[in-house]
Amino acid sequence: MVGTMELLGMALGTFLIFSTLSMLWKDNPFFRVGQMAVMGSSIAHFILLNMQTVRDNAWTPLLNGDILMVIPLVLGLLMYARLKKSIAWLSRYPSSVLIGIGTGVMIAGTVSGQVLDQIAITITDVFNGGGINAMIIAIGVVTSITFFVFTKEHTGVVGKSASIGRKFLMISLGANWSGEIVWYLTQLVGRLMYIKNFLTALMGG
Amino acid sequence: MSILRKLGKIDYRWLYITSLILTAIPLFVPIGLSVTLSEPVKDYYAAIQALPEDSVIAVSFGGSAALLDEQEAQFLATWKTIFSLGHKVIFYSTTEDGPMILRDHLGKKVIPEDYGYTYGVDYVELGFSPLGEPGQASFAANIRGVYQADSRGTPLDDLPMMIGFNNFENIDLLIYEYTSCTDIEWAIRQWTVPYQTKVIATTLGCCGPMAAPYYPSQIAGFLSGSGAGTELEVLSGNPGPGAAMSDSKSIGILPQLIFIAFGNIAYFANKFSKEDEQ
Repeated sequence: MVGTMELLGMALGTFLIFSTLSMLWKDNPFFRVGQMAVMGSSIAHFILLNMQTVRDNAWTPLLNGDILMVIPLVLGLLMYARLKKSIAWLSRYPSSVLIGIGTGVMIAGTVSGQVLDQIAITITDVFNGGGINAMIIAIGVVTSITFFVFTKEHTGVVGKSASIGRKFLMISLGANWSGEIVWYLTQLVGRLMYIKNFLTALMGG
Repeated sequence: MSILRKLGKIDYRWLYITSLILTAIPLFVPIGLSVTLSEPVKDYYAAIQALPEDSVIAVSFGGSAALLDEQEAQFLATWKTIFSLGHKVIFYSTTEDGPMILRDHLGKKVIPEDYGYTYGVDYVELGFSPLGEPGQASFAANIRGVYQADSRGTPLDDLPMMIGFNNFENIDLLIYEYTSCTDIEWAIRQWTVPYQTKVIATTLGCCGPMAAPYYPSQIAGFLSGSGAGTELEVLSGNPGPGAAMSDSKSIGILPQLIFIAFGNIAYFANKFSKEDEQ
């Protein structure tokens, strides 16, 4: 048996689902209400959780004597400098730190894991009993890369390879798109299940 | 206007209505269509099954409330499988929504204590940290560099499971649960390449093609979308939301396939008829 408060929550959720889905017919005030409610609650949640993170990871350690925590706090505050045009340039410092650390952390793994290892696997699979699948993948990789070679005119062998690569890219995009469609459908099924559960609870089920 | 031209100009709202109706029917009248198991799902399950007794699993949880319908079946079936085998688990969240979803699901839908687990001894929940890729790197190298306490505010050294436990060396398997398609690269770059940690992943249906190139050489298995979640439910014998969704998705997709077929037939028919006129 569902409690009254939970039932009210489910009713509100159902109202917001219908409000959001009403956009499929056309733009309307109910859709706007649903949209704003979802955005507002999400932003509030994100702000609170990130404030809590700053408190736990930097502010509290600083109060406990970890003086180095001044650095991330100041860098974080500098991000807000972009709100005032005359000092907006200050926000470039934390941005530079973020980009520098991000690039440094990812570069080694990228070269090894995503370039060298992927090339090696693509080639060795062909000769290690990978069969027709490995062959198709190898051809797909080579021809697709050819499609993105812009320093040589796409004529002759390069043109044929690029043309085949284009078809591989289309198939790849099609596979991605099918995943997207099924994903949207899953969201719809999930919301319909929510409404069904609400109706069941409403009838005392 | 010819029939073919009419086919190409059907009001798209008919697609929505027919999809909605066909999707809703199996929710009330289940059909019980069969589920085919795919290789990445079998390997995902096998990677968990192959772990020795009392292994430690880290769950990098990147779930999102807005996308939960797509992944809930994956999460629940995975956790039930882990708990039924008795492995120790560390949950840590990489998204703001993560702790909220974990709190709701680990407390209500899958209860570790029902499997004989004790918090702090057999599993811990470290909460959210704005990790990103540098955070994953930091977590793998030094957990206390990212988390000094768990989600309940208990210092890590006060949790029996976490004593002497601080980096990748203590982790036998990483289950990388994520929603942003390119995030799989973080696991490859920060876990597989530097430490050769065994990684399996769960993601959205649309992200599967981006995870596929890393399987099976760099990730041992992966679940892509709720369909894979349903497969895992069948494989592990833990029915859940995926099984309930399966029929609806299979039937609800039919109008879209038919409309795509109509659209293409109309497009090519119009194209050829114009060529004939010229």
